[in-house]
Amino acid sequence: MMRKWLSKKDDYWIILIFAVIGFLLLIFLSPMLWMFLTAFKDRGEIFTYPPVFIPRKPDFYTFVHGLELGGAKGILDTTIIAGSCTLISLAVGALAAYSLARFRIGGKNLAFWILSVRMLPPIAVVLPLFIFYQSLRWLDTYQALIITNSVMNIPFAVWILKGFFEELPSDLEDSALVDGCNRFQAFSRISLPLVAPGLVATALFCFIFSWNEFLFALILTRSHVRPLTVVITSLIGGHEILWGEISAVGTMASIPVIALAIFLQRYLVRGLTLGAVKG
Amino acid sequence: MKEKHKVNWEKAMPFLFILPCVGILLAISIFPLIYSLWLSFNSWELAMGFPPEFIGVGNYIRLFLEPRFWNAMLNTGRVLLFGVGSQFLIGLAIAILLDKLIRGRTLITTLFLLPMVIAPVVVGCTWRQIYHYEYGPLNYILRGVNLSAIPWLSNPNFSLSSVIIGDTWEWTPFMMVVILAGLQSIPEELREAAAIDGASNWKIFTHVLLPLLKPVIIVAILIRVMDAFKLFDLVVLLTQGGPGESSETITYYNYLVGFKHFSLGYAAALSYIQLVVIIVIANFFLRFLRERETR
Repeated sequence: MMRKWLSKKDDYWIILIFAVIGFLLLIFLSPMLWMFLTAFKDRGEIFTYPPVFIPRKPDFYTFVHGLELGGAKGILDTTIIAGSCTLISLAVGALAAYSLARFRIGGKNLAFWILSVRMLPPIAVVLPLFIFYQSLRWLDTYQALIITNSVMNIPFAVWILKGFFEELPSDLEDSALVDGCNRFQAFSRISLPLVAPGLVATALFCFIFSWNEFLFALILTRSHVRPLTVVITSLIGGHEILWGEISAVGTMASIPVIALAIFLQRYLVRGLTLGAVKG
Repeated sequence: MKEKHKVNWEKAMPFLFILPCVGILLAISIFPLIYSLWLSFNSWELAMGFPPEFIGVGNYIRLFLEPRFWNAMLNTGRVLLFGVGSQFLIGLAIAILLDKLIRGRTLITTLFLLPMVIAPVVVGCTWRQIYHYEYGPLNYILRGVNLSAIPWLSNPNFSLSSVIIGDTWEWTPFMMVVILAGLQSIPEELREAAAIDGASNWKIFTHVLLPLLKPVIIVAILIRVMDAFKLFDLVVLLTQGGPGESSETITYYNYLVGFKHFSLGYAAALSYIQLVVIIVIANFFLRFLRERETR
């Protein structure tokens, strides 16, 4: 499948394409680079003209101060919420996907109904949920955010995993059933380990989605629970904007998801193109 | 007796497996939405402490007479047209370039994807610094090439465009990766055959690649169109809908009505209008997916 470089002319083309891509990549990454550099600047370097690009004496003061200003609490809360949400979405999603793929339960309609929940506008969902959680005294609790985020993630988990289960031949499970396993054992011991790549892709997306989520976090929390996105926004609300600290917290918030994206790049691309490209 | 019990258990399995999923989705999205449909026919000003009062379609009438609603709809329309439009064009261009790469494609693709992997809130913070009128790098570059600095966020003529640029930066990678996957699923032989027949690169693109990419492009655009209605985070971080109402989108307006003014009935009506629009678009989308699945 390797395309051969046929002639000298093609060589020049490749170099030109590389150069253009490199230039575009620089443009695309420069805003992130700017935030990263700002995190290391001191106050004088942030509010000055012409702008300072490279900080002269980089230190970690803004990171420490940012953690004190709510960043640490934010990281803890977001980790709790994103972690629990990922586990719930995986468990519920895998069970449902297996049922849809193996037993064709509800035909196509049920599967498409589940997918359609994913498309609901979050603002429309959160309004009645706000009243509902208020009556349960669940506002400003972890469980409210974990469950609400899970509802948005489960349909996605079902759709990724359904594809993986459908590709799996049922022979292995059938022989396990003959050997005396029950259905749940056949599912958990035989099929689940075989769709491990699907589980990784699903976990990646659920984690990134709930890590970055803002609208639900803003509306359903007050002071007890402070997810990172809410902490960052409240730092901007102050009368004097601490860009160094905001950039430091923003950088810390981005490192986990960037690391996951790079380590799991194959899964990222597969999950994003799901539905758009067959197979 | 024991045998019969076992058979039933086995038959119940598919339902038991799907029960948690359907249960959670019903409890946390469908039932609340039914409740908010009822709410949309009531006046409930939570801030004033009155209980809900049934007013029929009053909220909907108020909504259609409200210029601010139409302004928000219009702004959302602009985001759709200009934002999703440029995401598509730039994404397509980058995808074509990446498709030509022989090595390093996966890593480079992933690097391009980073803007959409980080939190939209962080994207907002970053662009707010970049747009800064006095100290921002963008105006520094503009002044450097002898153009006048632009009040990106403080001038009503530019505020929505600034939001759209940030949104485009964040979501172009999505268009890119979907179109790239589409391009790579097209067999190399097709292009070679067209090239042997003497077709120019442009002809190959418009007559061979584009028709084959059409379904992929439609799905990607529909996904982004639905997302554009949800645009919220960037508006909060960059402009708070201002100056005035110049960059207010429909989700942001809904947020203000529901959670700043606490007009819950009116906000429910507003969210139902959005829901109807989204359901129409989603139906197109699902029908399209279905047709491709059965093909």
